[in-house]
Amino acid sequence: MKKLFIFGVPLIAFVILVVFLFSGLFSDPRELDSQVKGKAVPDFSLPDLMAPEITYTPEVFSGKVTLLNVWGVWCVTCAVELPYLTELTQQEGINIVGLYFDQDLDPEFGTKTLNRVQQEVRDITGRFGNPYAFHIFDVYRDTALDLGVTGAPEHFLIDHHGVIRMHHVGDINERVWNNKVGPLYRQLKQELAQQSGAE
Amino acid sequence: MKNLILAVLLAISASAWATEDSYEFDSPEQRQLFLSLTEELRCPMCQNQNIADSDAMIAHDMRRKVYNLVRQGKSGDEVITYMKSRYGDFISYKPPVTPVTLWLWLAPLLFAVLAFLLVVKRRKSSPPEDMAAKLAKAEAMLKQDNK
Repeated sequence: MKKLFIFGVPLIAFVILVVFLFSGLFSDPRELDSQVKGKAVPDFSLPDLMAPEITYTPEVFSGKVTLLNVWGVWCVTCAVELPYLTELTQQEGINIVGLYFDQDLDPEFGTKTLNRVQQEVRDITGRFGNPYAFHIFDVYRDTALDLGVTGAPEHFLIDHHGVIRMHHVGDINERVWNNKVGPLYRQLKQELAQQSGAE
Repeated sequence: MKNLILAVLLAISASAWATEDSYEFDSPEQRQLFLSLTEELRCPMCQNQNIADSDAMIAHDMRRKVYNLVRQGKSGDEVITYMKSRYGDFISYKPPVTPVTLWLWLAPLLFAVLAFLLVVKRRKSSPPEDMAAKLAKAEAMLKQDNK
């Protein structure tokens, strides 16, 4: 009995430790619990990047399933995922909206002109593909902060009620789309079809 | 010694300067609140730095937000709640006491109590053997060797 105790207790403690540390190997510290998941898109009133006279509010998300892509031309990974996102819009007809924010544009000491930002965006999308229906220009990066964005690229799947259903940090490639984003996107599409069928 | 003092002074002044940016405050209390808040809030990008130290863009933006909120007369708790509602409990270096985090405080305490109990039990379970009996045994062995 005593022998069992002497060998058993350290063994159990060791196994628990190994399981704990092993699971730590695969946990991503960047993966934070998103606070906006399951909530409506926070209120905003922002201009279109290309046509600043147009103003968007969360209303633009109602009635369709949207993939909101937080990005900027200064972000390398964002440019890398552009070809795949473009392919997705052609294959699946996704409504991809850009939430654009600029890094160099310091809200306190704005130095860059809007024209230059527009030109940079045209250059990049001309080179790598343009999956965007339009761009919402997050001038002061306030909406990005409200959404809990920590960098770029980040993605939000928004259902037809304007509720955020998924917050994906990082790029979307074929693997991420097939395993994570795609299945939920199809489910949201189905929900939309069911609702419009019921009406 | 003089060099050491100089080095320490330099280090302190550099860190104070780094957090200052170009923000101006209505009162010294507001400045103090801003400094303590940026020290307590954690940068979600550079995860082992607070937003006062970090140079990530998100840290810049969060400092600006904290500054604006402080200028609006918000209290420290309100600013922390504001950030927590966007980035979760992660954003603060002071973890809240929840059923999950409770173990951070309980586990060391339990460990100490357990160790104490074990020591006490050890003491009791090994009573000193009878010295006389031991000596007699040794004597017998010696006698046997001598034969």
